[in-house]
Amino acid sequence: MANEILEEHIQNEYKWGFTTDIDADEAPKGLNEDIIRFISAKKSEPDWLLEFRLKAFRNWKNMVEPQWAHVSYKKPDFQDIIYYSAPKPKKELASLDEVDPEILKTFEKLGISLEEQKRLSGVQSNIAVDVVFDSVSVKTTFKETLAEKGIIFCSFSEAVQEHPELVKKYMGMAVPPTDNFYAALNSAVFTDGSFCYIPKGVRSPMELSTYFRINASGTGQFERTLIIADEDAYVSYLEGCTAPQRDENQLHAAVVEIITHKNAEVKYSTVQNWYPGDKDGKGGIFNFVTKRGICLEDNSKISWTQVETGSAVTWKYPSVILKGNNSVGEFYSVAVTNNYQQADTGTKMIHIGKNTRSTIISKGISAGFSNNSYRGLVQIKKGASNARNFSQCDSLLMGDKCGAHTFPYIEIKDKSAVVEHEATTSKIGEDQLFYCKQRGIDNEKAIGLIVNGYCKEVLNKLPMEFAVEAQKLLAISLEGSVG
Amino acid sequence: MSLIAENKSAVTQTLLDQLQNNASKVAFMPDSEIVSAIRYLEDKGIPNNKHEDYKYCNIEGILRKEFKSVEQSFNALIPEDIAPLKLEEAINLVVVNGNYVSALSEKMIVRGLTVKAFNELSALEKNLLSSQAKSESDALIALNSAFCGNGLYLEIENANVIPMPIHIIYVNSGNGNCVVNTRSFIRIGPNAEATLVESFYNIGNSKVFSNFVSEKLVEENAKLTCFTFQNEGSLSYSVHTNQAKIFKYGNYSNMTATLSGELVRNNHNVVLAEPNCEAHLNGLFITQGTQQVDNHTLIDHQMPNCESNELYKGIAKDKSSGTFNGKIFVRKDAQKTNAYQSSKNILMSDDATINTKPQLEIYADDVKCSHGTSTGKIDTEALFYLKARGIGEDTARKLLLQAFAQELIDKIEIPTLQERVLHLFEESL
Repeated sequence: MANEILEEHIQNEYKWGFTTDIDADEAPKGLNEDIIRFISAKKSEPDWLLEFRLKAFRNWKNMVEPQWAHVSYKKPDFQDIIYYSAPKPKKELASLDEVDPEILKTFEKLGISLEEQKRLSGVQSNIAVDVVFDSVSVKTTFKETLAEKGIIFCSFSEAVQEHPELVKKYMGMAVPPTDNFYAALNSAVFTDGSFCYIPKGVRSPMELSTYFRINASGTGQFERTLIIADEDAYVSYLEGCTAPQRDENQLHAAVVEIITHKNAEVKYSTVQNWYPGDKDGKGGIFNFVTKRGICLEDNSKISWTQVETGSAVTWKYPSVILKGNNSVGEFYSVAVTNNYQQADTGTKMIHIGKNTRSTIISKGISAGFSNNSYRGLVQIKKGASNARNFSQCDSLLMGDKCGAHTFPYIEIKDKSAVVEHEATTSKIGEDQLFYCKQRGIDNEKAIGLIVNGYCKEVLNKLPMEFAVEAQKLLAISLEGSVG
Repeated sequence: MSLIAENKSAVTQTLLDQLQNNASKVAFMPDSEIVSAIRYLEDKGIPNNKHEDYKYCNIEGILRKEFKSVEQSFNALIPEDIAPLKLEEAINLVVVNGNYVSALSEKMIVRGLTVKAFNELSALEKNLLSSQAKSESDALIALNSAFCGNGLYLEIENANVIPMPIHIIYVNSGNGNCVVNTRSFIRIGPNAEATLVESFYNIGNSKVFSNFVSEKLVEENAKLTCFTFQNEGSLSYSVHTNQAKIFKYGNYSNMTATLSGELVRNNHNVVLAEPNCEAHLNGLFITQGTQQVDNHTLIDHQMPNCESNELYKGIAKDKSSGTFNGKIFVRKDAQKTNAYQSSKNILMSDDATINTKPQLEIYADDVKCSHGTSTGKIDTEALFYLKARGIGEDTARKLLLQAFAQELIDKIEIPTLQERVLHLFEESL
């Protein structure tokens, strides 16, 4: 029985695994200063940005790939990657009609119809989407609507051209170019990404969203997101990702930075669904991402919510530096691994300001032959009086060939801090399954029900549109994992 | 990069040279073991805080700073030195500077109990040494294997229940900077049962780096209850490695009380090698001044239906620091495992540090594993409650800390030892 269901699930292939035939303008393979100059020139960047890239690259050359994560994979050959791939023709686009129809078709397949979005404009619950295709931003919707409020939401390259002062001021503030191996690599070669600035006192009227897709083969995706919320501002930001099905492993090394000023709040939600590789663990995306936010001033808040179902190897620790007094950091995560996927994910909460609070809720689910680790750091610095942290990380095991691990680091240097950490590991209870089945709910649905219940605390934090998608994704990822 | 590497081997090399010059001509470990231990040391070096397992405990730094030169000269001890350390209800055995001294030990004929020095062992028994604590798993075990003294071998034969506790007093008496490598091997035969107290002291007024390794075998259906009492004083820097292996239906428990010592690092590794066995590890520490206590535990669940329990509590005062790093490792075959781990800590000063890292690594699905850790200050409401009833703040605080620790102190079933721990604990408050 178990095997049948498992088989059935294994047949369940990655449904986003198609490629789109569009001309791409690519840089030659490999990485050296010339390539960086090429990327920079291609994007007609100012000198300071080129300097930023070169500095990062020179640092990167002296860095070694981190080995500490609980994952094993074949090290990517950094000279065998195309660092720049832009869909052709690359000209200024005034409306959606000018976007390559092939790209639009891709988006329709993916279920995010830009056309429809456009048509529905004016309707209350819609989302502004910035679409990044092979590291180049293709189209940002609702730009005009947002501009009325003073919100800047555009591609990173556009921001570099039009708002260089903001980019220069904030870029590298949360993730310095020398932060770690992949952040340095990204700082050197990033091609595009999203930029978002919410001015003083503005609550973003809609959810902002970035959609990432790797398309061309042999490319790496290196995008950069920078979100700044000025005093009293609020924004909810969504990120989604897919990639075509390929035999080789592709590298995705992104950097996301969030900066919040006084009383500002940023809510960042991710549904990560990169191609996880086939059932034998062949192919898939290496997802090595650095995400960090700084609560720069008092009473600000940064909240990360992530649903991680894709990627062959995930290496990701969305963090919050709680610098301002009374600032709040949150991390809600569901990480699902199946087949031969490996995930090493968690968060860092660095308490510096007084009365800072952080909450960590992490739910790991491992099935098949996968390994799923939670790795987190809670650090209470000296002087961070009355800091408060609560962490809970639960793991659910499905099948006897997978692994679930927890590596929480807790470092406390202030006596008024209160820090709690809890973790449990278990499997779906026989009694729970029996209860459902007794009431006529079949095995498959019962598992879906229990898993969704188990993740509810996190799924509840997602914006509505995403929550529905995430629930479906969970069900697909885990179909038939337990007999 | 290469500069750091050179410095690293320099510390280890200096230590090796000094120890090799001073080492007695007699070696107590099998020759092959000594050769591989030294090779491992030369290769890996003494760990520093770049080493994941020693992140909060820089042993290399301490050797570099405090033990530049090692004199290895010791004061002789007389029975009067030992008398106050003894426990009256126990069989007291004495190990001085890494060597078992039968002249200072009590000779009692107890059925089934064998106590020997390493140099009295048969070839067969000698082969057991280093069968559990492997040089290639940790540089400090390697250091011990290469230079350990004439340690203590203790064996309880099949089906014997030792009616009174066995108390091993490990005492160092350096006269000038010393590095002492003490080793013991404890074997509890099938169906046997024993209570063991291991006390650590330092007599003398020079700095001692004490590197202790104990191997413990708890065989089928046997039971070993251990109490470790660490009171080595402010001149002592020590690493204690306990490597235990438990067989079918075996039961191993340990309660460690750390009350003094400038640096105390406890590596407690337990292998649950066969089904249906259990292990219970408990620990209590209170640190003050610039003291550093680092408790490291590893419970390796290899087989099904085993159980493990850990409870560690700590109080850090002044500029001291305390660490708990516990790892539960559940292997593929270890279905129906129950593992529980808890670490609770209280910080008494803004200069004190508590680091905790409770780790779970699980490869079996039908398991119940959980860990919890909490760190905080004294409950202000409880403090207020007591103060409102006319109890002074100081007394109230002491009362609450005592209540915090009582759960662990109660686990010490030997009255004299319990009193000793309680007395020192209260003094430290």
